[in-house]
Amino acid sequence: MFAKILIANRGEIAIRIMRACRELGVKTVAVYSEADKNSQHVQFADEAVFIGNAAPKESYLNMDVLIRAARDSQADAIHPGYGFLSENASFAAGVESANLAFIGPSADSIRAMGDKAESKILMKKASVPTVPGYEGLESYGDFKKAAKEIGYPVLVKAAAGGGGKGMRVVNEESELKEAIELAKREAQNAFGDERLLIEKYLANAHHIEIQVFGDKHGNLVHLFERECSVQRRHQKIIEESPSPLLTVELRERMGQAAVNAAKAVNYHNAGTVEFIFDPRPSTFDLQPSFYFLEMNTRLQVEHPVTELVTGLDLVHWQLRIAAGEKFPFTQSDLHQHGHAIECRVYAEDPSTGFLPSTGRLLQFIPPQGPGIRVDSGFAAGDEVTHYYDPLLAKLIVHAGSREDAIQRMKNALNDFIVHGVVTNIDYMRAVLEADDFKQGKVSTRWVETTFGEWNVPQPELHALIAAALADVVFVGGKARPAVSNETDPFNPWKGTGNYRN
Amino acid sequence: MKTTFDTQTIELNPSGENFVAVVDGKTVNVQIARASNGRMDLLVDGQRVTAHVSSDMARRWVTINGRTLMLTKTSGAKQGVRHDHAGGLIAPMPGQIRSVSVSVGDAVKKGQTLLTMEAMKMEIRIQALKDGVVKSVSVAQGQTVEREQILVEVE
Repeated sequence: MFAKILIANRGEIAIRIMRACRELGVKTVAVYSEADKNSQHVQFADEAVFIGNAAPKESYLNMDVLIRAARDSQADAIHPGYGFLSENASFAAGVESANLAFIGPSADSIRAMGDKAESKILMKKASVPTVPGYEGLESYGDFKKAAKEIGYPVLVKAAAGGGGKGMRVVNEESELKEAIELAKREAQNAFGDERLLIEKYLANAHHIEIQVFGDKHGNLVHLFERECSVQRRHQKIIEESPSPLLTVELRERMGQAAVNAAKAVNYHNAGTVEFIFDPRPSTFDLQPSFYFLEMNTRLQVEHPVTELVTGLDLVHWQLRIAAGEKFPFTQSDLHQHGHAIECRVYAEDPSTGFLPSTGRLLQFIPPQGPGIRVDSGFAAGDEVTHYYDPLLAKLIVHAGSREDAIQRMKNALNDFIVHGVVTNIDYMRAVLEADDFKQGKVSTRWVETTFGEWNVPQPELHALIAAALADVVFVGGKARPAVSNETDPFNPWKGTGNYRN
Repeated sequence: MKTTFDTQTIELNPSGENFVAVVDGKTVNVQIARASNGRMDLLVDGQRVTAHVSSDMARRWVTINGRTLMLTKTSGAKQGVRHDHAGGLIAPMPGQIRSVSVSVGDAVKKGQTLLTMEAMKMEIRIQALKDGVVKSVSVAQGQTVEREQILVEVE
């Protein structure tokens, strides 16, 4: 096992990885930008190295600085987390050539899966089902022709990308031109590559993904599915496992397809094969159909869901695999236990189309209780800036059944107090309460098309009373028991006249 | 003591050890059981209520039974200044201007994209709220803007 590793990331995932390191007796090195000098992940690490300005390009995306920081601090390996450089093949290669271990797949696997167009061709060869569509188109005329042939609605998306960036749904031909231009620009900004691909947009599709894991000795298993259909702006907000839609047979077929996909690129370490799942019975075999969407060659944001149902610690295994260990288990040893749900608590405002909300956290009180896990990168007093992803925390619950897990999550969301930035907590609870969610009918467009607009409710009586009382009892930000101890002769506040009315 | 939050007014006065609150002509008795660290346990007409409350200038954040609201103290202040500023379109969050597609004097249609900005890795389109003529453009491509800064005015 490694003696010390550098975590080339920030926020909750950096802390999550450091926790695993502590448990394995591995020392940790954090990195931080100007905006993060007082962040929780820096405080949590054994050592911390300053790497540059707040803008990601000048810090968390700066390969040379990160590799030098790892060498200078005598780390043995780098864990990239998710986002930033986690799926950058040049970074993985650069880390290896600096005689450091990269905690993730090989640069070749990342490269093969990183290009959405290339990977689709690879998958077709490996007999993994793919969505009807085209790669390598250039002129608007070609796109127009392809879209017509596939049939609207179509999806244009970055060939190099993922995570919903550089992706646009086009409902009719009149929208195609602007969509291509916007997607190209976003793709260029996010990935430095403006190539797009176009494919059939499946309107009522679900997003179901399979966690895969390989060691460096040729063993490759899957750790079952995660249903991630609750999305806004093409990004997931609620994930769960098992999926309420899968039968034992479908689960086996999708698991096998995911393993085949990973094997096609000689995959080792943790990865996720994402599928578009169409629940309607196909005319071909009367079964729902699933198509390869992409493979994420890294640890996923929603990995805790899998950890809770399988009982495996994915980050432990990432380190152990990277250090050369072999899996002591095979596919038949792995099982799903109970039901897990994750809610991503974002600093964003559902009433303004989920625009990020920035500010200082005045209160931040995560929920507690049996079956509740919170992976967070923030504490009260921290600043939420516009430089980085506005994910405040991941709230994950585990229970015996889906029904119980939903109930547990609703209560946990109720108990989560965040003041200072607007969050999606109340919104997610409303989603969990919707009949469609209970019945597992939420498709990836449901938030956008069915759930409807979110209106902030009018404050009721109790809220107004509490708000007005704050000026009386919490003068100057500190609590003063203005009234309750009035009969106490030793009350230090007595007679100080701190009422302002 | 009268306080107005957004559009609702509450009157709160001490009464012995307790308070009396009046909202919309309804009067209730409020007793503070405990108040510390941003949390208050209250008895409102005998009903137990736990509220988490934070203050930030004129803003009050209140969570009761898992519902969080942000109230803004508006007593004395003009309402709606922020959004109605002479047809001004403001930056919804800090970021950078990516492109400006209109100039002063241009006629624009409701929903037309006037400029795009990038913030938190997203592209945001600033669109006309109504048909009109561009009165002013206060930003240029590449410029960094603050939240609520006026970008374009349409009249």
